[in-house]
Amino acid sequence: MSAEPVPAAAADATTAPARRYSFHVEEPCEGDRVAKFLEAFAAVLEYTDYKALLDSYCTTSAKCNRCAVTCPVFQVTNDPRDIPCYRTNILLEVYKRYFTIGGWVSSRFKSHFELTDEVIDEFAEVLYRCTACRRCTQECPMGVDHGLMTRLGRYVLSLIGVVPKALQVSVREQLEGETHNTSKVPQKAMLHTLDFLSEEMEDILGVKMDFPVDEPDRDFAFFCAVSDYLMEPDTLMGNAAVLYAAGDWDRWTIGTDNFDGINYGLFYSDWHLENIIKRLLGEVDRLNAGKILIGECGHASRSAHQFVPVFGDRERYPVLNFMEYTYDCLLKGKIELDPSIITERVTYHDPCNIARSGWIVEQPREILRAFVPNFVDMSHAGRRNYCCGGGGGLVSVDEIHDFRMEIGGRVKAEQMRETGAEIVVAPCANCKKQLKELVEHYKLPCKVMGLHDLILKAIVIPGGKSPAERKQEAELYA
Amino acid sequence: MEQAITLARGPLFALAFGIMVLGLARLVLLQVYELAVGKGRRLQNAPWRKIMGETITWALPFKHFIKGTLLFSSASFAMHIGLILVPLFLADHVAMWERQFGVNLPSMGRGMADVLTLLTLFCLLVLLGFRFLSWRHRAVSTPTDYWLLVALIVPFASGFLATHPGLNPFRWEVVMLVHLLSANLLLVLVPFTKLAHVVLFAFDRISEIHWQLRPGAGDRVANALFGSEAKV
Ligand code: SF4
Ligand code: SF4
Repeated sequence: MSAEPVPAAAADATTAPARRYSFHVEEPCEGDRVAKFLEAFAAVLEYTDYKALLDSYCTTSAKCNRCAVTCPVFQVTNDPRDIPCYRTNILLEVYKRYFTIGGWVSSRFKSHFELTDEVIDEFAEVLYRCTACRRCTQECPMGVDHGLMTRLGRYVLSLIGVVPKALQVSVREQLEGETHNTSKVPQKAMLHTLDFLSEEMEDILGVKMDFPVDEPDRDFAFFCAVSDYLMEPDTLMGNAAVLYAAGDWDRWTIGTDNFDGINYGLFYSDWHLENIIKRLLGEVDRLNAGKILIGECGHASRSAHQFVPVFGDRERYPVLNFMEYTYDCLLKGKIELDPSIITERVTYHDPCNIARSGWIVEQPREILRAFVPNFVDMSHAGRRNYCCGGGGGLVSVDEIHDFRMEIGGRVKAEQMRETGAEIVVAPCANCKKQLKELVEHYKLPCKVMGLHDLILKAIVIPGGKSPAERKQEAELYA
Repeated sequence: MEQAITLARGPLFALAFGIMVLGLARLVLLQVYELAVGKGRRLQNAPWRKIMGETITWALPFKHFIKGTLLFSSASFAMHIGLILVPLFLADHVAMWERQFGVNLPSMGRGMADVLTLLTLFCLLVLLGFRFLSWRHRAVSTPTDYWLLVALIVPFASGFLATHPGLNPFRWEVVMLVHLLSANLLLVLVPFTKLAHVVLFAFDRISEIHWQLRPGAGDRVANALFGSEAKV
């Protein structure tokens, strides 16, 4: 496999001097960037506890290249700068040279490594060619976590203003804007959408359900990626249908002050990551809810699941992904799924953020097997699955679309094609967007949807229309 | 020459060994300190079972022989067998451990030791070949990655020659001295190079713990760089 790498910073500079990287930044960092970078890195080292990890990586990295073989980006480009260890090494070199005694001593004799403007540019470029999917980490004999290193590198760069504009603008709106969400959806519009969805569900399912909003003291405070309200209403309706069918309609609520589960801080900034989590906890407190229920979104789920215990209190705020909830309902017999509705061949894409750690791998498959007779797994299914190619926030950066299609997502497209599936289930807002673009780009003969979009079709709704009836109606309309 | 050999075998060895032990102890203590003090309460959130499980599977990494790295991985795995066993259990070494530290280890037969030594040497040469010939390995290699392999080859090759006079074209004393000095050097290098993974290996798979970021750190960094009114 081969493909043209996206234009490197240098090639770009001749045609568009304002753009140093493949992605747009708000204000290009000016002045002595090297000094600024080192100042930012020093501050990070002082207040965080990355030092032990960096020390250990500096010592043990085997330089064995196993990570290269596992990386979907390197598999396509064969470009040395896409070798995970090569990229991580840039950060380690800076650390060794400027923040360790050994580095200082060796710099007196012959300069091993100097941080320059060019190094910063290359670093910024390669960091946003990594999707932080952590596939490589599984095969590193020394356990070097390139996802964590990529994010640390991005964090330091973000402190000197080098961060994709798309991510920064979204985070700003979420933390400092009026709407408190990444897509700038006003509260009114969200409520309007819920009314509309409520009518839509009455039409489809034959029962009236008004979405619970700002209800205090419920068991679940629900947060999905805000895009579910805009672009993926079927996922949201599927979630609602499960809650209704399971008899839990009175147990959940959506909060109007903060209804967005997205946390781009996970991709590039400890600072934003923590503050967004605190925002979320603030809303849970305001609603006095018992648990945090996250919709179908890989990174939103991981942010909450992994970082609520770190920045909040594990006992006070248990975190549940919606698929865990649905799986639990299925096991307890609280919901019924009609196995005669979905006749297409279906496969499942594992979002890195929930599957890599082994957290959510079997649950969605068990759910699918319960009502999809023609379910097939793709190659490398489960913890070792390939990233969609848009992870680590890349999917939100429109200007690197070509990279995501031709490089980042090429292996994924091949995997999807191999299965011969007509439906690819991807329970994550980011993955869905990327995979839909891949389907279009590679003209793949399949549809991409969320798990609950599919459940919406097959779930038995007490007192409502039967799934078969609904299917008939849908075919009639189509 | 005799004196030099006695020196290398006695005090120099004790010194090198001491440096290695202290150096490694320092590394372990630093890691433990950073975790216990730095992470503190957050250690509760770590998936300990998973970490233990993965550390063990990597010690015997049979399920990690993946396509595209088979030769390199097999060579580095096989290399470790002799690297660990021969220095400990070769009859002459067993005598040395006894002499120096009074510990009594079982010893392996000469034939076995020879096979393991040759296997290790062969694997080291394969790894060196990769460093030179494969562009992917060159791209990530630093000078240390090359000379460290040489630093491993020398004590093994000289040890083999010293125990096989028929194959040894050099003076025995010279070869023995080279063996002793290079082995001592290797001991000193352990805590300062990637060889430190003899102990750091136990801390390799703990990145999940490092994802337990320090609460409040983000705000403090922003505050230090941009003041208390820092904006996104
Ligand atoms: S995290 Fe994923 S994209 Fe990044 S280097 Fe590793 S395998 Fe490649
Ligand atoms: S797999 Fe690990 S040790 Fe090997 S080259 Fe990659 S990062 Fe380095």
